[in-house]
Amino acid sequence: MKSVFSPERIGWLLALIVAVLLPLVVGGYLTSILLLIAIWSIVAVSLNLLYGYTGQLSLGHSAFLGIGAYALGIIGVKLHIGFWPAFFAAIAISGLFGFLIGIPALKLRGPYFVLVTLGFAAIVGVIVLGWTQLTGGANGLAGVPRPTPIPLPFGKTLRFDSLLAMYYFTLFFLVLIALICHRLVRSLLGRTFVAISRDENLAEALGINTMQKKLISFTISALFSGVAGALYASYNSVISPDIAYFARGMDVLACLIVGGAGTMAGPMIGTFVMTAIPEALQIVPTLRTLINGFILLIFIIFLPTGIAGGFKALFARRRRSLSSGMGRNGIA
Amino acid sequence: MALLEVSGLVKTFGGLTAVGNLSFSLEQGELVSVIGPNGAGKTTLFNLLTGAYRPTAGEIIFDGNDITGCKPFQSAARGMGRTFQKTTVFRDETVLDNVIIGQSVHLKTGVWGAIVRTAGTRREEERVREKGRSILDFVGLANTEGRLAGNLTEEAQKRLSIAMVLAADPKLLLLDEPTGGVNLEEIGGLIELVKRIQQSGITVCLIEHKMRMVMSMSDRIIVLNYGTNIAEGTPAEVASNKEVIEAYLGARRVA
Repeated sequence: MKSVFSPERIGWLLALIVAVLLPLVVGGYLTSILLLIAIWSIVAVSLNLLYGYTGQLSLGHSAFLGIGAYALGIIGVKLHIGFWPAFFAAIAISGLFGFLIGIPALKLRGPYFVLVTLGFAAIVGVIVLGWTQLTGGANGLAGVPRPTPIPLPFGKTLRFDSLLAMYYFTLFFLVLIALICHRLVRSLLGRTFVAISRDENLAEALGINTMQKKLISFTISALFSGVAGALYASYNSVISPDIAYFARGMDVLACLIVGGAGTMAGPMIGTFVMTAIPEALQIVPTLRTLINGFILLIFIIFLPTGIAGGFKALFARRRRSLSSGMGRNGIA
Repeated sequence: MALLEVSGLVKTFGGLTAVGNLSFSLEQGELVSVIGPNGAGKTTLFNLLTGAYRPTAGEIIFDGNDITGCKPFQSAARGMGRTFQKTTVFRDETVLDNVIIGQSVHLKTGVWGAIVRTAGTRREEERVREKGRSILDFVGLANTEGRLAGNLTEEAQKRLSIAMVLAADPKLLLLDEPTGGVNLEEIGGLIELVKRIQQSGITVCLIEHKMRMVMSMSDRIIVLNYGTNIAEGTPAEVASNKEVIEAYLGARRVA
């Protein structure tokens, strides 16, 4: 059994400490970038549940990002409902869309499923741009609410008006969603997800209701992407159609592949690398797509399991060589 | 009452009739072999029974329920387990995880239970592990639970694929060539396993090509040719059936 202080847990703890302390040291600009990394990480983590662990590749997660963002925007700006009910409604709406799209889409397999998700993302992109009365069209929506203060005991309040507070608010959801995904994947339910990703026909023959399990995974994944969309809308306070642009779904997938699909740390590592490298090199935005495409290509060819997958294989090999060196009972 | 009753089963692919007007029944506790030349429709029959294929016509009554047109996971949930001709295990998972996945039809852990890890969820995990170990013990894989399934020998993978199906507590076990691709000296062990499964009260129906094995272990034999059963009976009856000798055994004697 794993001890409380396994190397894995220490790694996660260190990463969390750095994520909490870093914005206190670096300036506002870098904090805003860290915040965006956290938001895109949420999308990557949610896509990882669907693609990495359930084997269903969606290129349409920009749609759920957009739905989450616009749902919060429309409910908050047009209906003048307070932030918290609007926020949770936006999340629920994203999940509902995931459920409704999942029912027909998941009946298809392989490339056909991928195409349906891509088509859905394109449709959402067109609606966001075209339905001007609802979405503001190309002008977008301004004045999306920030989280309203939460009263705490002893007369204190939790306020969200600073950049730092928004960062911690986002980080909270990233940690929460990553933990939920971790629990899901390790559970007996998660094992059926993994079984489907490995061999759908065998899973079905063993009595797994593959359609139902895929739908659960898809709905949760859509819901979490909606959280990221709502967080983005709230942080930015202005949303424009580019949040729902379908190419964003592919950017997320690129992050996932670079980091390592089907691993817990992969989506976050990938998002960090794919955002931090162009940022650190101060590359102009048009070149970024080119550089990111180049990085993705390198990974697909040389390390298809991604950074986290590569580390995993490295450790597994070390453990094997250790155990063979020490005889059969060397390491249990 | 028969455990499985098939009547008038037909499956056509375009103009080709893979199974044509097939009727037979399996009694509780029997070990029945389905034999026939290549392309006789044996595997197609299994695919029809489990619901992997939808029958063109006919009726399948299993354990008192009409399961015609059921999906594979539904027939599995009703107690019909099957293995595949090509050995199928989850190669990248451990042996124990494979038999745990095999228990899927009984699993109750939902989204909420998985996330908050309720007491019921943890109890279920413990129960599933225990049961997995006892099944591995039963099929003779007791010391392999932590190994990756893909690293096992072909024979051990056959045992594991049977264990995965047994994990669902089937009433009927459909085995598609349980000794296919296994070394000659290892076949005896697998036959012994199949017999033990039958003795535990599970009805077994298997597809096999190895005649000596079929003749020695089967209670009854169903002979398929061109998608219909040309003969049915005890090994002795089938071996002396003229039509069978002509269509199947006879062809061998000439060669």
